[in-house]
Amino acid sequence: MKTKNATGIGNAIDRVEGHLKVTGEATYASEFKVENKAYGQGINSTIAKGEIIGIDTSEAEKLKGVLKIITYKNAEKLKTFDKERPVLATDSIAPVLQSNKVHYYGEYVGFVVAETFEQAQYAASLVKLKYKEDATARFILGQNKDKAYNPSEESDYERGNLKKGFSEADAIIEQTYNTPIEHQHPMELHATIASWNNGKVLVYASQQIVEDAVISISGTFQIPKKDVRVVAKYVGGGFGSKLNVERHLIMAVMASKMVGRPVQATVTRSQMFTNTGLRQSNIQVVKLGAKKTGELTGLLHETLAYTSTTQEFQEPCGSMSKMMYNVANAAVSERLVPLNLQQPFSMRAPGEATGSFALECAMDELAWKLKMDPVQFRIKNDTQEDLSQEKPFSSRLLIECLTIGADEFGWNKRQQKPRANKKGNWLIGYGVSAAARAAPFNETHAKVLLDLTNDTVTATLQMDATDIGTGSYTILAQTLSECLNVPLEQVVVELGDSDYPITPGSGGSWGAASYCNGAKSACDYAIAALKKNRNVPNDEDVSIAELLKMNQITSYESQSLAKPDSEFKKHSIFSFGANFTEVWVDKDTGIYKIKRMVNVGSAGKILNPKTAYGQVIGGLTMGAGMVIAEQTKVEPNFGNFITRSFADYHVPVNLDMANVDVIFLPEEDKIVNQMGIKGIGELGITSVAASIANAIFNATGKRMRDLPITPEKLLMAEVEDGVTV
Amino acid sequence: MRPFTYTGTTNRNEALKAFTTTSHYLSGGTNLVDLMKEHVEQPDQLIHVKNLQYNGISKNKDGSYTIGAMRSNADTANHKDIRLYYPLLSMAMLSAATAQIRNMATNGGNLLQRTRCPYFFETSMPCNKREPESGCGALNGVNDQHAIFGYSDNCIATHPSDMCVALAAIGATVEVQKVDGGSRKIDLEDFHRLPGDKPEKDSNLEPGELITHIHLAKPELSNHYAYVKIRERSSYAFALVSVAAGFQIEDEKISKIGLAMGGVAHKPWKLIEAEEFLLGKKPIESNFGKAAELAMKDAKPFEGNRYKVPMGKNAIVRALMQANNIGE
Repeated sequence: MKTKNATGIGNAIDRVEGHLKVTGEATYASEFKVENKAYGQGINSTIAKGEIIGIDTSEAEKLKGVLKIITYKNAEKLKTFDKERPVLATDSIAPVLQSNKVHYYGEYVGFVVAETFEQAQYAASLVKLKYKEDATARFILGQNKDKAYNPSEESDYERGNLKKGFSEADAIIEQTYNTPIEHQHPMELHATIASWNNGKVLVYASQQIVEDAVISISGTFQIPKKDVRVVAKYVGGGFGSKLNVERHLIMAVMASKMVGRPVQATVTRSQMFTNTGLRQSNIQVVKLGAKKTGELTGLLHETLAYTSTTQEFQEPCGSMSKMMYNVANAAVSERLVPLNLQQPFSMRAPGEATGSFALECAMDELAWKLKMDPVQFRIKNDTQEDLSQEKPFSSRLLIECLTIGADEFGWNKRQQKPRANKKGNWLIGYGVSAAARAAPFNETHAKVLLDLTNDTVTATLQMDATDIGTGSYTILAQTLSECLNVPLEQVVVELGDSDYPITPGSGGSWGAASYCNGAKSACDYAIAALKKNRNVPNDEDVSIAELLKMNQITSYESQSLAKPDSEFKKHSIFSFGANFTEVWVDKDTGIYKIKRMVNVGSAGKILNPKTAYGQVIGGLTMGAGMVIAEQTKVEPNFGNFITRSFADYHVPVNLDMANVDVIFLPEEDKIVNQMGIKGIGELGITSVAASIANAIFNATGKRMRDLPITPEKLLMAEVEDGVTV
Repeated sequence: MRPFTYTGTTNRNEALKAFTTTSHYLSGGTNLVDLMKEHVEQPDQLIHVKNLQYNGISKNKDGSYTIGAMRSNADTANHKDIRLYYPLLSMAMLSAATAQIRNMATNGGNLLQRTRCPYFFETSMPCNKREPESGCGALNGVNDQHAIFGYSDNCIATHPSDMCVALAAIGATVEVQKVDGGSRKIDLEDFHRLPGDKPEKDSNLEPGELITHIHLAKPELSNHYAYVKIRERSSYAFALVSVAAGFQIEDEKISKIGLAMGGVAHKPWKLIEAEEFLLGKKPIESNFGKAAELAMKDAKPFEGNRYKVPMGKNAIVRALMQANNIGE
């Protein structure tokens, strides 16, 4: 698609919403001015399994300002699950405070409403709960492998004949890769303000998908959807944690009804560990076989993960293994173990981020065993067909990503032998990995309002899309500027309100493609309709202002939808990428530095290089975080998380991050959607961890298969057999 | 947070007079306020002492320096005389926390910062330090960050400070104001305690005593120095193991030395045997290695922190090598 003007798509313009954000004028969920607002604070359980047998609220009730203390005893009756451990989805109901049962440490067992935030917080600490503990609670995945179950038929995938595949191999590796519990931790805490008016509820919330929040609230309270309005104008990051409605929101809605006032609930940072989702721990086994010449003959990827005892979530760790390489014989399986820990859900490229760590480390291990260059090994096994779907890829420039990246990085300077590149106390290593992330495009509605005043058209776009920090406002403004050929100043973008047309929301890397095509379709519809009315040929270039004048109207409203077509469905749609990393490892202390990274992506049309780079750099940082230090530690005797603040849940700091080069390959994909957009949101994080771990092997000869790779682990690890020290 | 009253003053006597057994002096607040939010500390009154006039950095007649307890860590570490005469102290202080925290945190408060043991921070967990007689959760729980020296069955927590490790290597005296108006001096080595059967007591300060000054020993370790801090990220992480090393060389031999470790005990851990071994020896890697062996020979790690023994040895050798090679 050719860009028509300087503010249309493809231009690296500054964010249109940037000024509002940095000056604090952008309204996040807890910042809406609401009269007569009260504050709610959740109370967390301090046991992992058992029953509440006594509640003493007397001390808390005596406190000034306390309006209501809600527990299972006086809570409103909500819709509860009608089967054991139902599958968690983005629009699932979210019942809370419905029984005296406790399923995990930190589960909400009460909610205090008070005049001020401080009063609610203090009162919550004074509510005394007595428990009958159940000693059968289970917390550690590795110790409960025997409790694993098969969640569904789709959890087992197989093609070809795996046994035969491995029998044809000249070299086989089989290894286990462990990833810990991690937390999403967007900067903006989860927050909500709920207020009832004439049987209808208005909820300001920090949600990635407005429509699903409406469904979830209406389902939980058993009220019609039309009586629920959700507003999420700005969202300060989600990373999956804000895909579904969390319980503080439900408690605020319930409390607002009970006290007859608007109620705000903002979770604390420590409740962001216990009550707003996480990535569960995984144990992945990957077995790969290949011929001497490098052709893969067999691939096995088995994942064991935990889910909670109340709901089921399965992170599809094997998704990339199914489609990435040209291997005829492959099997992927996923198994779950219910544990008394918080319910896991999507986090930062669920499936790919963790699955690619196992797959791409295993590829490096096999390349080493074959004494093949790992870039060449991947190129050798490239495929233009997705063997798991038996469909061609709409576009796949993985080989280009690898070769261009290798050139940019200076891969040819890499020593194949580990520990061969030294400088003082440092061991220097180079690592590579390949990445693929599905590029979905979902049905999206949009409304465009055109207004002609003094010869100037103002175009207003309305959709319930969200901006989760990625710059949705900006790329949508660019889309309107492009499609209507008007300057940016004449475009207004209004998002994040369930009163607007329905979109799939932000998540799963589908936002940009879905939103922009939706907006384009509403623009195209307007132009086509206005032309048709005046018998203007479709291909004639007439300005939108002129069209309105020709129609003798000063305003026009157009609503339309975009959705995948039959060509889309005939293809497998993915974005691809390659990561190159240089690490320096201190030979005596286990400290290491990520010196530089080169990331090359092929992800269709890049709407705004500035916001796109930002997203990929963010992804790379999160990938580095998986390796450097991110982990939530479970106390083995009590089942609580002992990492409970940013002081002990370590995310990378600036000094940890490398000099990063991000390259997008020009890619015109006419199949994915009209605008040729593929997602990039989760491509950035995918495989980064493997690229760093592979570089650490190249530097030290140590295979680090347990994330994160902390100095203590690296120091204690043994050098692999066959590596000369 | 539990409600409390706040007393702000610029007058020392007013601060001392306001003190009650349920009061807490507040200085930078970078640790205390966190603990109050977590309900670990629940004082009735905070007496804000940061504005008392103990914020100087002054040179004494014998060439040593005295630093005020209320001076910020950032100001102290960046002071030109501290950088020149006590570069080891400056280096250690600048490795701590973040720029923002160092701007708030004070020298007196740093001496009194409390352990980051997760069991101490979570009020529903057992912890003898927070709640005597409740047990030690870390003993049979998560103990990867815990002590390998000097602990007891009651407590295996570590002292988190970087500054104090450098002070232990250099030598320092803490001056405190007593409630009755008098003052006393406590050698840094006697300031912090081992947990023994009173892990709730981190230091030998008496209730109501207020730290006013830290007197540094004469600056005799400023030519060869290094602070090596091994941690899980490049900033804003506590030491897994840290080593402060400073020495002087005369006639190609070590004539004066200070060595201490952090992250290994309930207090900054002086490496006395290693110091004695190295005195009069040549500053060469083989001697440093032997000193490191001596320093770590009595280490008794737990399941989770066995790594601290080899890491500690390597960190000692690295710090001494780095100190020796300084300027090269």
